Amino acid sequence: MANTKKNNNVSKEKTKDNTEVKEKSTSPKNIILSIKKASYRYSDAEENDYALKDISFDFESGKMYAIRGRSGTGKTTLLSLISGLERCSEGEIIFDGKSLKDMNLDKYRNSDIGIVFQSYNLLPFMTASENIILSMDASGLKIKNKKAKAIELMEKVGLKETYADRKVLRLSGGEQQRVAIARSLSYNPKMIIADEPTGNLDKQTETEILEIFKKLAHEENKCVIIVTHSQNVCDTVDKIYDLQKLPEKKGK
Amino acid sequence: MFILKNAWISIKRNKGRNILIGIIILIIACACTITLAIKNTAVDLIDSYKSAYDKEVTIGFNRENMMKDFNPADEEGRASAREKFDNIASYTINDVESFADSDYIESYYYTYSVGLNGNDIEKAEIESNDDMPNGFGHGKENNMSSTDFNLTGYSSQDAMSEFISGTYTMSEITDNAWDVAFDGNYVFINEELATFNNLKLNDKIKLEDEDGNVYEFEIIGIFKENDDENEQPMSMFSNSVNTIITNSNAVVNLTNGNENLQASIYPTFIIDSYDNVEKLQDEFYEKGLDENFILQTNEELALSGVSSIKNINSFATTFLVITLIIGGIVLFIINMINIRERKYEIGVLRTIGISKLKLTMQFVSELVIVSLVALMLGAGIGAVSSKGVSNSLLESEINSSKETTEEVNKNFGNHGGERGGMHGKGMPVVEAYDSIDAVVDIKVLVELLGISVSLVLISSIASMVSIQRFSPLTILKERS
Repeated sequence: MANTKKNNNVSKEKTKDNTEVKEKSTSPKNIILSIKKASYRYSDAEENDYALKDISFDFESGKMYAIRGRSGTGKTTLLSLISGLERCSEGEIIFDGKSLKDMNLDKYRNSDIGIVFQSYNLLPFMTASENIILSMDASGLKIKNKKAKAIELMEKVGLKETYADRKVLRLSGGEQQRVAIARSLSYNPKMIIADEPTGNLDKQTETEILEIFKKLAHEENKCVIIVTHSQNVCDTVDKIYDLQKLPEKKGK
Repeated sequence: MFILKNAWISIKRNKGRNILIGIIILIIACACTITLAIKNTAVDLIDSYKSAYDKEVTIGFNRENMMKDFNPADEEGRASAREKFDNIASYTINDVESFADSDYIESYYYTYSVGLNGNDIEKAEIESNDDMPNGFGHGKENNMSSTDFNLTGYSSQDAMSEFISGTYTMSEITDNAWDVAFDGNYVFINEELATFNNLKLNDKIKLEDEDGNVYEFEIIGIFKENDDENEQPMSMFSNSVNTIITNSNAVVNLTNGNENLQASIYPTFIIDSYDNVEKLQDEFYEKGLDENFILQTNEELALSGVSSIKNINSFATTFLVITLIIGGIVLFIINMINIRERKYEIGVLRTIGISKLKLTMQFVSELVIVSLVALMLGAGIGAVSSKGVSNSLLESEINSSKETTEEVNKNFGNHGGERGGMHGKGMPVVEAYDSIDAVVDIKVLVELLGISVSLVLISSIASMVSIQRFSPLTILKERS
């Protein structure tokens, strides 16, 4: 699977303030995540064969971002870097003033950020609430009534209490994604990272889900980053970062 | 704690696989318990065999030392060898008592024998053969051939090794024989000698030494010799026909104040450990034992009976190892399949920030929980069956032990058993296990636990390593 990436380098941030950005006043102190000249090369790739090169993006609290790019531009790679699933080969990523290099990435994932995937990635053998409680457990937070908190979160993303004890496989795609969002919110992270969260959903559901993300950003001051190629998503966000293919490497 | 909770959820979710793992571990545990119990039984048996023999030390003649400087081709060499041999200081009853006064010695007994001639009885003899072989095991030729009878005094029943081994058996005995046998002038005689001289129980016989002193003895028992391996096939009489058995006190009384009467003493010392033999030997030398004598033990004899049990023990070990290897491989494969099947789950759990360590712990706990349950069941089943297995293993030992004990008592004329409770030397007192905890004791359970835990951990190493190497994103992408 690395093969598709190998020959595709990534452009530098290109359209910083393009037409679709509805800018609010930006003050540097709001920056929650800062990518500084980050590059990534697969461990089995040759030298100079980068999947991602010299990326520098800033993300602020209270805003919703889209990272856009055609397939093969390194979207997933960038996602895995900012979600702490991989470490940069070069450059660094600063979260809330601290470099990810110096952080325990497990702790970062289970407490500081919430991740939402296109395929929901819930555990199918658990109920909706069990999935949410699992994340609370993983964060190590002391929450008194976890079940009640899970139900509260589910209601927040538009799921009725009766869904709490249903196995997630019995839920629709949209409902599963809501559970996934509720799970990512269960330990109140500062940032939500979503990978094509609406890719498998119909238009109507997509709009509803995006509305939830929007609320989280604008009302709860969270930073929401959505990796996507959906125009609908791009229309909703506050700012878009484009990833583009880097020129083909000579001799490759 | 949520790790255990997760583990429990996973166990409930994957009932089929966990039951399979459980059955495998149950079989392993069952097999382990039985083999460990067999091994345990075998070790017990070996120990009891060893303890069935007293750790005996006797004084032997160091021939190698004697022959070292011996040059047979040379007349002078022979003469000097003979001179050397004659000069070896033998040991007396006083020496033996002094030797026995040692920290290493628990008890001792001895035979004390002296050559005497008949006064009112005749030596049983048909051939005009002077060197009548003396069947007595310890016999010293030069001492015996010149007299008619060999009067052998034993210090206790323990010393009467011929009766214990069954070489001699008592054919007739007076009711109170064993009450008086070890003090006073009482004797047991060979039944051939009795027939030859027309003697019966309670008859008195007279013996005399070369100076003409006459000693009177009362017959309290008649024994016969069962040794088929007569050194002289053509001999009419058994080897022991002219051996008269009495007690050592009688011999001591005889020899007291009679310097011409040369008595030979053959002591047997019971020691606490074979390890101390060398120290004991040095102590004996210090106390005046001639350095041409050495100490000999019955250690080899004591171990000779256990070889079949040792075989069983090593077979059980082999069986155990094979069971563990096969079981380990099967568990290993199941674990690998388990991890591969659950890659997605691992990916999700890693993504939501559960550390590799915790994840590994969860997987291992799942296995441990299932194993513990299976282990307890397996150990229980194994324990119940191992009682039967061990007992059937012991069956032959139990029977022969019982028979031997009865046999020895019979050799002593049945009164011996009542007196001393003699049991067969070299045959342990083996009894059937009547309860499970006798076979499967704490030792077995601890061993079982140790083996199983190691097995479970070793077989899950590969899966643990896989967890460390999984990249969550790769897993999730594969899934998508």
